[in-house]
Amino acid sequence: MHPLLAEIAADPSVAMLLADSGDGAAGIAFPFLAGPAVFAAVYIGIYRYYRNTDKRHEFEKKTDVAVGNLRSGDRRVGTNNRQRSRTMSGQNSTDHLERVRRIRVE
Amino acid sequence: MTAQPPQDPQGEQPPQPPTPGDPHEPSERIIDTSSGRPDGLNKCPRCGSTEIQYSLTAKALVCSYCRFAWNEDVAEQRFGLDSSIAELRGHTLASGTADVREDLTTVTLKCQGCGAEVVINVEQEMQARCHWCRQTLSINTQIPGGAVPDAVLPFLLTREEAVERIDAFAGKRKTFAQGRFKQEFVPENVMGVYIPYLVVDGNMHAVLRGTGEVTTRQYTVRRRVGKDQYVTETYYDADVYAVQRAFDLLVDDLTVESAKRFDADDNARATNNILSAVQPYDTENAVVYSSHYLKGFTSERRDLNVRDVDAEVEDKFLAIARSKATPTISRYDRGVRWDEEGVAVHGSRWVSIYVPVWLYSYADSAKGEGSLVHYIAVNARNGNTMGSVPVSHPKIFAVSCAAGTVAAVLGALAGLAYMFM
Repeated sequence: MHPLLAEIAADPSVAMLLADSGDGAAGIAFPFLAGPAVFAAVYIGIYRYYRNTDKRHEFEKKTDVAVGNLRSGDRRVGTNNRQRSRTMSGQNSTDHLERVRRIRVE
Repeated sequence: MTAQPPQDPQGEQPPQPPTPGDPHEPSERIIDTSSGRPDGLNKCPRCGSTEIQYSLTAKALVCSYCRFAWNEDVAEQRFGLDSSIAELRGHTLASGTADVREDLTTVTLKCQGCGAEVVINVEQEMQARCHWCRQTLSINTQIPGGAVPDAVLPFLLTREEAVERIDAFAGKRKTFAQGRFKQEFVPENVMGVYIPYLVVDGNMHAVLRGTGEVTTRQYTVRRRVGKDQYVTETYYDADVYAVQRAFDLLVDDLTVESAKRFDADDNARATNNILSAVQPYDTENAVVYSSHYLKGFTSERRDLNVRDVDAEVEDKFLAIARSKATPTISRYDRGVRWDEEGVAVHGSRWVSIYVPVWLYSYADSAKGEGSLVHYIAVNARNGNTMGSVPVSHPKIFAVSCAAGTVAAVLGALAGLAYMFM
């Protein structure tokens, strides 16, 4: 795939647009959703392809690291039922650069 | 700086857990990485000439008189920087990482050939020619001005190869590029630049705590919303777990920018993220510093000390810990929210290094001073190329409007079809 098309396809607004077509929204809304969404996707896609503002060295994945002596401590603490979302709220296990409360480790 | 075989976090042969260091052991150790030569003449080992330059064809220092070619020793092996990371305790600092003295701008060299004294501006250059006997005088000692690193990674890619890559990169981005950029783009203006980095090894123990959820049931509910209308909704039930991961990490050759103007997180004046994106560098092959490697290239002085980047490095260690924990939480299909994290660094080793980059810089001539500098950079070791090309916003706006209009028309047709079906 052409890199520009790949950038556009990766844009979340495109996925949103595709999802819209099946959610039962009135047909009258289609052009008003599709037009701005495609406008934004094309604008952001071209801009990123030229400026590469999102590119960086992924040191957290590419640095040579040896890991060992893993200790896991998992325990069930309750339930969270009748949720509409497929993922839990505040999920951040893939946001490696986002820092959370620091604890002292011995 | 030694290669450790990465292991799965649940691997069968974990490294020995680090034990707390001996309290009587010094917490800071300096490794002397100086070449042992005094400032002044830095001679060809065969004929004694000082006319030496790095040759990209030979990939070595070459004497202009006798054509003898050689490279300095690999710094890791020469200075024992490749000892086991698991055994690191406290701070181990190579002597080239010493604190930078901002006031050190000139050094007086005494020519060992004729005795003349030559003043050299060490902010600009590391070599000067004796005005009496014409010999080349070099800064060979680790003056604390930030311009002499522990090691240098010499250039491997030639200027021609870099120009080709930069031309190809920009060539794919001409359609929506700013008009002035297209007119003024001259890839031959590329410069060979040595950029300073601090390379860090770390022996640490990391702890992460959070909450994870596992789906126990998925079901759909049909709900009435109008007289004859129903909607179907999907719901999820989940078990909630308190999650904790604790493990040892041996980080090998983490790089961190050590010149403020190339800070990868500061893109206000220049597109510094581009320089970060062309990594990695094979830092393990860096050679002992010699000013002859810098001749013909420009080099940026290090102006950040170890303590200036210490907090940033700890954040990077934590990011690595979070990344390495990911395979161990795959059972939590609804995800994990980490709430607390920490790392105890038992030992670290710091080495300053110059890495080679072919750099094309472009600043919009019409905007004058303060205009954003766009870089197209080529990693001069492995050829990784990345860049920023200034865009023409009116052109992107026009094509986006056209695409949006087509999508709106198609959407209208789809909408009509949907309504009358």
